[in-house]
Amino acid sequence: MKLTITNILAAATLVTVSATLVSPAFATLGEGADSVARDRRALSAVKRGTTTRSNYTVQEVVSDSVTVREFLNSDGVVFAVAWQGLVQPDLTTLLGSYTQEYQSAKQQTPRRRGHKQSRVKSGNVVVETWGHMRNLQGRAYLPALVPSGVNLEDIH
Amino acid sequence: MKTFTKVALLILVVLPCFLMSAGCGSGGGSSPQPILVSLRLTPLNPTFVAGTSFHFAVIGTYSNGTTIDVSQTANWTSSDTTVATIGNTSGSKGVATTVAAGSTTITATVNGISASTTLTVTGNTSTGANVMRITVNGDLCSAATSAGYVNKPCVSVTVCNPNSSTCQTITDLLLDTGSTGLRVFSSAIPNLTLPQVTTSGGGSLAGCVGFADGSSLWGPIKMASVQLGNEPAVLVPIQVIDSTFGIRPSGCSNADPTPVSAGFNGILGVDVFAQDCGPACVSSALNGMYYSCNGSGCSGTTVPTANQVANPVVSLPVDNNGVQVQLPPVPLGGVASLSGSLILGINTQSNNTPGAVTVLPEDTSGDFRTLYPTSSTSNDSFVDTGSNALFIPNLNPSVLPTCASPNQAWYCPPVTRSLFATATGFSGLPAVNVPFNVGNFITVASDGNSVFSEIAGTSTFGFDWGLPFFMGRNVFLGYEQKIVPSLGTGPFVAF
Repeated sequence: MKLTITNILAAATLVTVSATLVSPAFATLGEGADSVARDRRALSAVKRGTTTRSNYTVQEVVSDSVTVREFLNSDGVVFAVAWQGLVQPDLTTLLGSYTQEYQSAKQQTPRRRGHKQSRVKSGNVVVETWGHMRNLQGRAYLPALVPSGVNLEDIH
Repeated sequence: MKTFTKVALLILVVLPCFLMSAGCGSGGGSSPQPILVSLRLTPLNPTFVAGTSFHFAVIGTYSNGTTIDVSQTANWTSSDTTVATIGNTSGSKGVATTVAAGSTTITATVNGISASTTLTVTGNTSTGANVMRITVNGDLCSAATSAGYVNKPCVSVTVCNPNSSTCQTITDLLLDTGSTGLRVFSSAIPNLTLPQVTTSGGGSLAGCVGFADGSSLWGPIKMASVQLGNEPAVLVPIQVIDSTFGIRPSGCSNADPTPVSAGFNGILGVDVFAQDCGPACVSSALNGMYYSCNGSGCSGTTVPTANQVANPVVSLPVDNNGVQVQLPPVPLGGVASLSGSLILGINTQSNNTPGAVTVLPEDTSGDFRTLYPTSSTSNDSFVDTGSNALFIPNLNPSVLPTCASPNQAWYCPPVTRSLFATATGFSGLPAVNVPFNVGNFITVASDGNSVFSEIAGTSTFGFDWGLPFFMGRNVFLGYEQKIVPSLGTGPFVAF
């Protein structure tokens, strides 16, 4: 398929909208619970349930391609997001203000052939992915905001 | 042999004490010369197809606890050289070459201590219309895309324009039991003009496949006539990988542009599914995998299963209920390359009958469960030729410490660990213990070989049984909704 320059320019806006819709961001790390509700409305994702632990709250939301669990600390700040589904969610929106440092950390992380997982760690955020076709999993978290006593194994 | 080893140990340890006063017992100040106390042959009791070559290794354990590969100093013999020969000259020490069906005893001797194992040779199954050759870092892999890429299993397929004699044979396709369908870089099929699959809205269907390492492949979905081995050609949708096609969605913003960047000419995905997405992409346009592209861009689209990238094995007339991956064992220390077979169908021909195997049913995502350590809670787990090592969730860093930066994604135990995990069906039954080895990645990978059975990396999520799991095993993948005589209905893995 060939596109003329004018078509590409005209298409860019449309594609940005559709790409955001199909690569949903459900919450933004380091922001408040309002980011969860805002993104859910924009993405027609469905809230499935809320689980309250002793020192954090988990909200699970579901779209057509991925299930996302958002972890909020007692101040209502999103300190972790975990997902599982057909695709990885759009990390750019999900990481919010941490996107830039994640991107530079990712460029420093050597690509390893044959790996079905990755771990990228920057100064403030850790992003880990794992899995195979039809079962892609991952999580992003802010170590400094993880409440004490929370086991990282529970962020799934 | 155990008795013999003990006798030898007594002689070696006690006798010199009569002859010398220093270096024995607790007296003296100088360190005694370590004495060889036992030998361990690897692989133990392997089974090979006739006509293959591989390395035996013999590991010596010394009185000071150290272990050393003494393969090059050992004397090697085979009790029946009509079944298999074994090299015993410099450069060929421990290299076995299988000749014909039968069994033979392989013995390695060092300083009067021996270790033996039985080598079983089966008839050559690497012929038949349903057999595809696999080479791990061998001649089916392209050197241009394989630099630094260890444990890379490659196959070849022939792709033709539908209803045409215009064909191309493509090598350097990654054999992947962790994905579905054929994906080929457009640059690998310059002579073909494959028909584009269109969407209900009249657009061109394109796919965006994201992998868990963060890489992605983007390109149009086209119909192709695909020939696997000498099976009849099948007409299936494939993905033509082309990062310049249309306008990429954000999920494919980093789509690999070339075979060199991806590390292969393409992927042959033969996991347990018939299509890469399945029902989710039939019902939802926001599936993140399929897009309809026209002059104004690409947007998410629903796709009927008939138009989704398909596992070509499922379309075969007879051998369509699963596959078998057959790789020879690989000794500790690795080999330069390895040959094996992908055998299409299970219990459909005389060459694909499983023996006594354990069948582990998988869930709708293609996962079973693995417990490691065996006392832990179970994790999602899959067997994946496309993963080039075992990837192990680690609860005990004293057993499996990670390597120093920048290799902290790999394990570097001080000695090679012989471990086992418990694999179970997705519901917990049946359960089977699976042994595996984990060596020091830095040491192992620096010896010049490219194929290793003992390399493992970290995992934050489940247990990924990558290519080392397949070495020395016959692994069967039973396909979803297919009935496999004697083994049951897929999806399952059996070994």
